[in-house]
Amino acid sequence: MQPMIIILKEGTDSSQGKSQIISNISACQAVAEAIRTTLGPRGMDKLIVDNRGKATISNDGATILKLLEIIHPAARTLVDIAKSQDAEVGDGTTSVVLLTVEILKNTKTFIEDGMHPTIIIRAIRKATALATKKVKEIAVYVKSDDAKEHRALLEKCAQTTLSSKLIARQREFFSKMVVDAVLMLDELLPLNMIGIKKVTGGSLEESRIVDGVAFKKTFSYAGFEMQHKKFLKPKIALLNIELELKAERDNAEIRLDNVAEYQKIVDAEWSILYDKLEKLHAAGVNVVLSKLPIGDVATQYFADRDMFCAGRVQEDDLKRTQKACGGAIITTVENLNEQSQQVMGTCEIFEESQIGSERYNFFTGCPKAKTATMILRGGAEQFIDEVERSLHDAIMIVRRAVKNDSIVAGGGAIEMALSRTLRDYSRTVPGKEQLIIAAYAKAFEVIPRQLCENAGFDATNILNKLRQKHAENHMWFGVDIMHEDVSDNFTAAVWEPAVVKINAITAASEAACLILSVDETIKVPKSSAEPSNAAKAMNMA
Amino acid sequence: MPSIGTLAFDEFGRPVLILKGQESKKRLFGIEAHKSHILAGKAVADTLKTSLGPRGMDKCMVSPDGDITITNDGATILSMMHVENEIGKLLVQLSKSQDDEIGDGTTGVVVLAGALLEHAEALLDKGIHPIRIADGYELAAKIALDHLDKIAESYPLDLTKLDPLINTAMTTLGSKIVSRCQRQMAEIAVNAILNVADMERRDVNFELIKVQGKVGGRLEDTLLVKGVVVDKTFSHPQMPKEVRNAKIAILTCPFEPPKPKTKHKLDITNVEDYKKLREYEKEKFTEMIKSIKDSGTNLVICQWGFDDEANHLLLSHELPAVRWVGGPEIELIAIATGGRIVPRFQELTAEKLGYAGYVRELNFGTTSDHMLCIEQCKKSNTCTIFVRGGNKMIVEEAKRALHDALCVVRNLVRDNRIVYGGGACEISCAIEVAKEANQIPTIEQYAIRAFADALESVPLALAENSGFSPIKTLSDVKSQQIAENNPRLGVDCLNTGTNDMKAQLVIETLIGKRQQISLATQLVRMILKIDDIRLPGESEE
Repeated sequence: MQPMIIILKEGTDSSQGKSQIISNISACQAVAEAIRTTLGPRGMDKLIVDNRGKATISNDGATILKLLEIIHPAARTLVDIAKSQDAEVGDGTTSVVLLTVEILKNTKTFIEDGMHPTIIIRAIRKATALATKKVKEIAVYVKSDDAKEHRALLEKCAQTTLSSKLIARQREFFSKMVVDAVLMLDELLPLNMIGIKKVTGGSLEESRIVDGVAFKKTFSYAGFEMQHKKFLKPKIALLNIELELKAERDNAEIRLDNVAEYQKIVDAEWSILYDKLEKLHAAGVNVVLSKLPIGDVATQYFADRDMFCAGRVQEDDLKRTQKACGGAIITTVENLNEQSQQVMGTCEIFEESQIGSERYNFFTGCPKAKTATMILRGGAEQFIDEVERSLHDAIMIVRRAVKNDSIVAGGGAIEMALSRTLRDYSRTVPGKEQLIIAAYAKAFEVIPRQLCENAGFDATNILNKLRQKHAENHMWFGVDIMHEDVSDNFTAAVWEPAVVKINAITAASEAACLILSVDETIKVPKSSAEPSNAAKAMNMA
Repeated sequence: MPSIGTLAFDEFGRPVLILKGQESKKRLFGIEAHKSHILAGKAVADTLKTSLGPRGMDKCMVSPDGDITITNDGATILSMMHVENEIGKLLVQLSKSQDDEIGDGTTGVVVLAGALLEHAEALLDKGIHPIRIADGYELAAKIALDHLDKIAESYPLDLTKLDPLINTAMTTLGSKIVSRCQRQMAEIAVNAILNVADMERRDVNFELIKVQGKVGGRLEDTLLVKGVVVDKTFSHPQMPKEVRNAKIAILTCPFEPPKPKTKHKLDITNVEDYKKLREYEKEKFTEMIKSIKDSGTNLVICQWGFDDEANHLLLSHELPAVRWVGGPEIELIAIATGGRIVPRFQELTAEKLGYAGYVRELNFGTTSDHMLCIEQCKKSNTCTIFVRGGNKMIVEEAKRALHDALCVVRNLVRDNRIVYGGGACEISCAIEVAKEANQIPTIEQYAIRAFADALESVPLALAENSGFSPIKTLSDVKSQQIAENNPRLGVDCLNTGTNDMKAQLVIETLIGKRQQISLATQLVRMILKIDDIRLPGESEE
């Protein structure tokens, strides 16, 4: 009898070989099934409730995949590429996943037939390089010299993104808003300088954009309502100081042996606070914002001197205020005086006003105005959340489009063009690679096909029409959702930045290669106490 | 298999786990999901249907702690029902956002959304794509909103003639439990708003209106106090019960020797020291009293307490005082009397005192309840509505009713356009939408027609609640509207003999109605767009 040699920890689950690759591909297909129907203007939303009972309604591929809590190791790759697409370009998260899975699905038969994965991978790499080259080649460069034309281009791109979202009907309204917001930013287009505030109530059309900063009224103490709520050209001090009567040191203890000293201590504490307040007042500040709490004594002191204050301001709000109004966030008021104006910000109008059932502080007409705030309105919390995600996508696209002004036509047009080019190319390749490249070319057709299926069209019919058009070198023909037909999507202004597509193609191919190259999974059990879920399911099966 | 699409099998037919806790998760997909949403939405709407209109009934809600609430306010009912279903929750939020934004019409908006969903079901059965239904609804909503603008009438907003405003407030109150003293309540609401309204900015700060309730007395005893009512009494029973020409010191520091905030310890080792401490405390008290006396105060309002010694000293110096007044009240008093909040005795000066013409203590019935009423203030732009009623439920419901009325009047101050209630504007919109529907060439036509039918659900429910034959009443009114081309005809709920809502003075604000239609449509779109629900199952652990 041979002795058993145990190399791995007991309970370790390991599977390998060809079957492993195939089973990984099946798992990915199952995941893609979950988000398949969200693609395109007729795509549907998903409602996902997590364990804590929080509901999310979304159409965004990355969001859905994140919430599905996928544990399968190969399928997790899909979540990661969706996330990376989200981080890199912000949109196209659903298409990137669909594309990956379609490539895998088309190569599955070759794996089953015993083709070596590395050959497949090499062919995919080659095809990817060709595809990206082709996108760059046919992308149309729109000159951005003309500001008006440039703006129109950006709005078109934003509209294409928004057309598949909940706010499709209002896309013109929101695309304007998004473009306005992005154009307000400085060269680097930092995303965190666009604030998005959500207020339930009101209809979507009441959403608006503020060329400055707006944030919700912070918690306030008695005396707040007596302060002035409107200033013209105020001096704004941004603090990181607590303005409250308190023990200066937490663990300090004072020992007194004389009653007379009692009063002195009290006075000393008061004077610490009052010194700060007086310095602020003396410097001529009108609006005081602080990251830390501003206590009741300070509130009343400011109210008494016609100044406005807000404590516990969120840090990013404070930073945006600083960007918009100038000045600096200061941690001491010691050196503050009439001369040190540069640390204080200013804007045209500061005002507190009502939005829905909440009061908001507005700083508008800022001199530096490199920041914008969108105030979204809508009927329900989940509703606004989804609007925010949609706008995030649109903002990202517009940001991309500002930097790279080359565009391609959406609605499946670019995919069909790539598919055709690659198919033609494949015929010139001798050997096994020919098959793989042809399969890769076919994978691109999943996007127009899914668009048709979601809209309830006859996908095969439309696809054949598209193939015919593309064979005749009409390379911008895509699906026309509104009329159940094909149309020139470039003239129909369904535009997407080319960089989005390039990123999607590379990400999808890389993910596909990654999944194909794995032939063994070793899963270490969590702990010996309880068998893992997978093991339990194995036993049940 | 409830979760098709999330299961994959490897080559031995064993299931591969992809999602965490996959076996316990529930999933609804496709048409099944739509049906379940619609069912949930309809169930919620049906609950509220009977509360609509002047003949609507109230609901009694018992909370887990046994607290009873009786109300017919849609938002309140829904928020207390603790709806579990996700779609139901969306409807709850819908009525809440109507409440936040407009304050009134919270029942109507849910009934409308429910009706839209119900009609969508029939269309889904016909095989129309849910997004096209939603598109059709949005088109229809636009037609309806444009039509509303057309039939809206501008309302004279004359501060000398309050009748029009009162009539609108009365419409709102008509469906509430307080309809017994409708006129009186409406007058109170109008006066309160006009008291605090900033007519130039058309802004009304609700913080300045306080609604106080006290059980006992009759509903008719409800009154509006142009000033502040505080649920407190004078600190010493022998103090005078009323003060005329009160000069008020508003203190936010305790009436006791000041203490340092830092942790401290006073060592007393001998009798001498102890006596000194007593001396010191006494000295402090007299000092405080003196500083108050010197400033010319004859009424002290303090946020904190004061001990018996201070109380006695105040009495002997003929200084009536009130202690433990809450922060918001302190603020209201300060605003009303034009005084400044004083955080330290040292800062008390004559300029910082507030002035009130008449301060008195109110007594109620035989109970020993007292309240302090501060009237004839320097700046009388704060006011308090003091609600009386037979039991707690009535008082609470009256408060809610008054809140609705206040909101309506505020909306009129902001935008003085009105439409006629009693279902009149809904019928008129329905006629218009149905007419327009015939001119739409696409499938959306069906959805638009369904929208028109759904609009009629409001007058239908009104008629049903009033005990009329709903369909007959509606068709009568509808034909009459078309024949006379008069959009002011509605359902005569109270049997007054005329169904001209202008004669009946049933008036609603335009923004309220617009909001209802656009909120309901947007929410229904969101619900229709969902085709996949994932719920976490019962957790195994």
